[in-house]
Amino acid sequence: MTAVSATATEGSNTNYINCERGIWSWLTTVDHKRIALMYLFTLTLFFFAGGIAALAVRTELAFPGGQIMSADTYNRWFTAHGVIMIFLFIVPGIPAVMGNFLLPLMIGAYDVAFPKLNLLSLYVYWLGSLMALVSLGIHPVDTGWTFYAPYSIKTGSAVVWMTGAAFVLGFSSILTGLNFIVTIHKLRCPGMTWLRLPVFVWALYATSAIQVLATPVVGMTLMLLIFERAFGVCVFNPTCGGDPVLYEHFFWFYSHPVVYIMVLPAFGVIGEILPVFSRKPLFGYKAVVISSVGIAAVGFVVWAHHMLVSGISDFSAQFFSIATFLVAIPTAVKVFNWVSTMYKGSISFSTPMLYAMSFVFLFMIAGTTGIYLAAVAVDVFYHDTYFVVAHFHYTIQGGAVIGLIAALHYWFPKMFGRMYNDLVSRVAWFLVMLGFNLTFLPQFVLGMQGMPRRYYDYLPQFANLHLASTIGAYINAFGYSLAILNLFWAMAFSKKLAPKNPYDALGLEWRTQSPPIKDNFDVIPTVDDGPYAYGKPVATSH
Amino acid sequence: MSHGEHASVLDDPQGPPHVHHMDPPTAYHAAKFGMWLFLATELLLFGVMFAAFAIFRWKYFEEFHKASKHLNWKLGAANTAVLLTSSYFAAMAVDHAQHGRNKKVLSSLLITIGCAVGFLVIKTIEYSEKYHHGYFPGGENFHEYKTFLPLYFCMTGIHALHVIIGMVLLGWVASLAAKNRFSERYYTPVEVGALYWHLVDLIWIYLFPLLYLVG
Amino acid sequence: MFRYLPEQASDFAHSVDSINNLITDISVFFTVLIVGAMIYFAIRYRKKGGVDHETPRIEGSHFLEVVWTVVPTLICIWVAIIGVYGFRTMREVPADALEINVVGRQWNWTFKYANGKRTADEFVVPVGKPIKLVITSEDVLHSFFVPAMRTKVDAVPGQYTYQWFRPIKTGDFQVFCTEYCGTAHSAMLAKVRVVSEAEFERWVSDTGRVQSPAEQGEALVKLNACGSCHSVDGSAIVGPTFLKLYGRKGDFDDGQQYVADENYIKESILNPQAHVVKGYPHPSPMPAFEGRLSDEDISNIIAYMKSLNEAPKVVVKKPEIDLASMTPADRGKKHYQEKLCIGCHSLDGSRVVGPSFKGLYGREAKFADGTQYKADDSYITESILKPNAHVVEGYPSPSPMPVYEGQLSDDQIKDIIEFIKTVK
Repeated sequence: MTAVSATATEGSNTNYINCERGIWSWLTTVDHKRIALMYLFTLTLFFFAGGIAALAVRTELAFPGGQIMSADTYNRWFTAHGVIMIFLFIVPGIPAVMGNFLLPLMIGAYDVAFPKLNLLSLYVYWLGSLMALVSLGIHPVDTGWTFYAPYSIKTGSAVVWMTGAAFVLGFSSILTGLNFIVTIHKLRCPGMTWLRLPVFVWALYATSAIQVLATPVVGMTLMLLIFERAFGVCVFNPTCGGDPVLYEHFFWFYSHPVVYIMVLPAFGVIGEILPVFSRKPLFGYKAVVISSVGIAAVGFVVWAHHMLVSGISDFSAQFFSIATFLVAIPTAVKVFNWVSTMYKGSISFSTPMLYAMSFVFLFMIAGTTGIYLAAVAVDVFYHDTYFVVAHFHYTIQGGAVIGLIAALHYWFPKMFGRMYNDLVSRVAWFLVMLGFNLTFLPQFVLGMQGMPRRYYDYLPQFANLHLASTIGAYINAFGYSLAILNLFWAMAFSKKLAPKNPYDALGLEWRTQSPPIKDNFDVIPTVDDGPYAYGKPVATSH
Repeated sequence: MSHGEHASVLDDPQGPPHVHHMDPPTAYHAAKFGMWLFLATELLLFGVMFAAFAIFRWKYFEEFHKASKHLNWKLGAANTAVLLTSSYFAAMAVDHAQHGRNKKVLSSLLITIGCAVGFLVIKTIEYSEKYHHGYFPGGENFHEYKTFLPLYFCMTGIHALHVIIGMVLLGWVASLAAKNRFSERYYTPVEVGALYWHLVDLIWIYLFPLLYLVG
Repeated sequence: MFRYLPEQASDFAHSVDSINNLITDISVFFTVLIVGAMIYFAIRYRKKGGVDHETPRIEGSHFLEVVWTVVPTLICIWVAIIGVYGFRTMREVPADALEINVVGRQWNWTFKYANGKRTADEFVVPVGKPIKLVITSEDVLHSFFVPAMRTKVDAVPGQYTYQWFRPIKTGDFQVFCTEYCGTAHSAMLAKVRVVSEAEFERWVSDTGRVQSPAEQGEALVKLNACGSCHSVDGSAIVGPTFLKLYGRKGDFDDGQQYVADENYIKESILNPQAHVVKGYPHPSPMPAFEGRLSDEDISNIIAYMKSLNEAPKVVVKKPEIDLASMTPADRGKKHYQEKLCIGCHSLDGSRVVGPSFKGLYGREAKFADGTQYKADDSYITESILKPNAHVVEGYPSPSPMPVYEGQLSDDQIKDIIEFIKTVK
């Protein structure tokens, strides 16, 4: 029998971490929580690798002219940054770590529907990552993470290894998504109706649908690119009648929905954190759920807004512009609901709450700058300039990465049974905010001034803003390093044991031990309400 | 506390394996649902090539029309018949499994796999015809149909790869039938395997007219 | 707000900017509203005294959901429609537009007018008249971006795209390539010069002026982007410099000797793979111009090369720096950048093409033939003047490093050695 009391001896009980020892037990586990941790360690490594690539790029760009590398080398570094951050880090991202850890706990299940398939997903992810590393070792790719044809067909770099890696990684993504969908459908505990699911679970559901439906498209597209390079097959190469714009269509058909794979789970995380630290229900639960599903659906019909100046027809350009405006609305609805959650709450400012509130600010910038890009007349100017670079860093870093860091801090006591150093976590948060905004706000201005992206060198009038951006990048890097090291240090050495439910949160995951036992629950729980029933019931409900 | 993870084959050697976190009906429905989702991904995978084919056929109609005439529609039709037959026997295997007739499951699946081998043999004949006329990638006449042929080989090649995957999958299921594994209480692998096989067949049903007939 | 956009040089730039500014106003308004509300709630309802106060279990409000769905939808539709109308203006080309053909290639832009006049890197248009650019690429994707005109469209190989604008003021305006296209993507710049109608007429009809063969040759060299790989001032890029090329004697990499006379120059233009000069990349990355340059074109190019034998053409791209006041190591570093050693030799220890300069000075290692060497002054000097005399073990042989004999003075080499000493 596990102890139910919230005393400090919690962490010393048998749990999923100490129940079996030895590296082999980890490498062959089918426990979703252990799999989540192994993803976490790998992802952290790649986050730092991608971050180093970012610093290399920003250091070169600190001043006009060649600083520390040639143009060719620079092109390989920015490609490496994009490929590592996107395919090896943020696409697996929150679903692989937090989704794997929390999903069964949140729905009251012992594990996911296919635990062995889950382990296979991890192995496939490792295989794909290895292939990417081989590519970076042999002859680093210099095409940008988008691998546009015909340059990607002609260049001598190890494109086949890298696109092959992306293909393999896509499989991992598909299998995880498939697993989650079946889990959510089939393994909800008694009383857990669809409308009692935590919004994080809904977010995972919408994300998984995208993973399953969109990933095969880019997989096949990259396979065709590989055939084109290896066998001279003619699909995208104009010298034999192929169409480079067709590549762009196929590529973005996945790569637009992929940004929702990155950010929807982060939206879910914010929806979990805000109610807890406001002691109020999530405002407009149904609207938040509908908007998650809506974003996933509409996200499939806007892909060519990445191609408005690629030579597509004027009709298409106008269609995709209007469709893109539509996808903004559900996101706006979410933000309104989040802030309303805080109304008349009892707000406390834990580190996860700081990150969640910052998320709202950062995502307002991200979303509104997206409007510029949706408006086709204005996108003509901004496309492929630094404005776009700043926009997508606000959405991906300010959105998805901040969501992941917030989640790691929030669920840390549950995952590891200890607390991290609070003061250090706050200092790190501040540095991340300062550094991130200093890096990317100047880039909006650079874009307005017409500075194109993927430029090794630039005209002198852009110098000051680039220098500011580089300084910001170093502060940003330092902040993240501090935050992550603080967490890892606490994992290994913190003596502050965490109680079962340090925040007095509702939600099934908080009913378990901290850290949970291997099977999560002694017996499958039963629920009779949703996870946001904070506060005193009001007389009337709308 | 653990919930007993080993398959309790001793209690009921023809019953569902003990999966500690799902009861048998849930496990069965979960497996089927999972396979349907996987089939959806396969459709999208092939969808890319179908879309590329459609676009290039519209763009290079002459070339596609002429090229399609070079394809041996008789062999293609034979392959269609072969695959339909294989699907029939796969469906029969499911029915037999649901009634516990393991020997008949084994024979039906062996016929299915046999048909698949026949498919691959016919495909090899077709490919070698192409090779001898120089229509293979790198062949001397390849450039004559330089947009049609790459797509043709990609689509039929990747389909053939899926035929092989299906054969391996069904072979594994057949080996279970040989050990008398199935009964009316448990036949999930047969059903799920057959589902996959039907998709492989379905893709060919679209490929054949598109490549060989409509051209 | 945020007046960072470039000057408005086309007639629809103003309307593009007003859409931009409208979006800015809306965005700032909503961001301040939302973030402000959040901060206000955070402060006003903060937990006091370490104890949570009572909170009402408010679950939602249908009314608010409708309001904050409908209002943003209406705003979005409004802005979308404005954006679409603005776009249509940018795509409907006036019937009397002056058409110019633009070709992007790695890594320059060339322009051709209706009367056959061709230019590279810079093109001239009359103010007040609509200009239509018909654009394509010879190799990979590029994109033609004129910020001041607010226009941009990709240059797609195998297809034609277009953009149009009506310049409203005279002046020089920047053009960028804005679709990543490889090594020199950020150097693929151009300029549009807007002049009065009269001046434009004078300029564009200037095709008939009889230019000397050397001048015609110079124009051809520019048009065909030979400068991407061959300098005219003695500096080494990818291929041999054209400075004092005519009549030069040397060796091919197969050991044969050559003289750079009319016949050889013609062969190397039409069929560059036939022979490669020793010390240069093999196979030659130079494109073949067979079918693209006539015999007359080639003889004009040869005339131009002959003209480069007279006086060295000093290409002053940067302001004069007082070399004498720099330290030898700093001068050496300048040579390292300008002579493009930076293209193959890193400073951070990483391997690009040749050995990194980090820790190079004094290093002891082996050549490919097994003999030992020490990277002292005499070996470094030899490897600059005659890179193929010895190749370090593990590096490409023959060495693709350009031969700097005749292109660097002894003093310059000494400066470079001083610089290398500082790279630790």
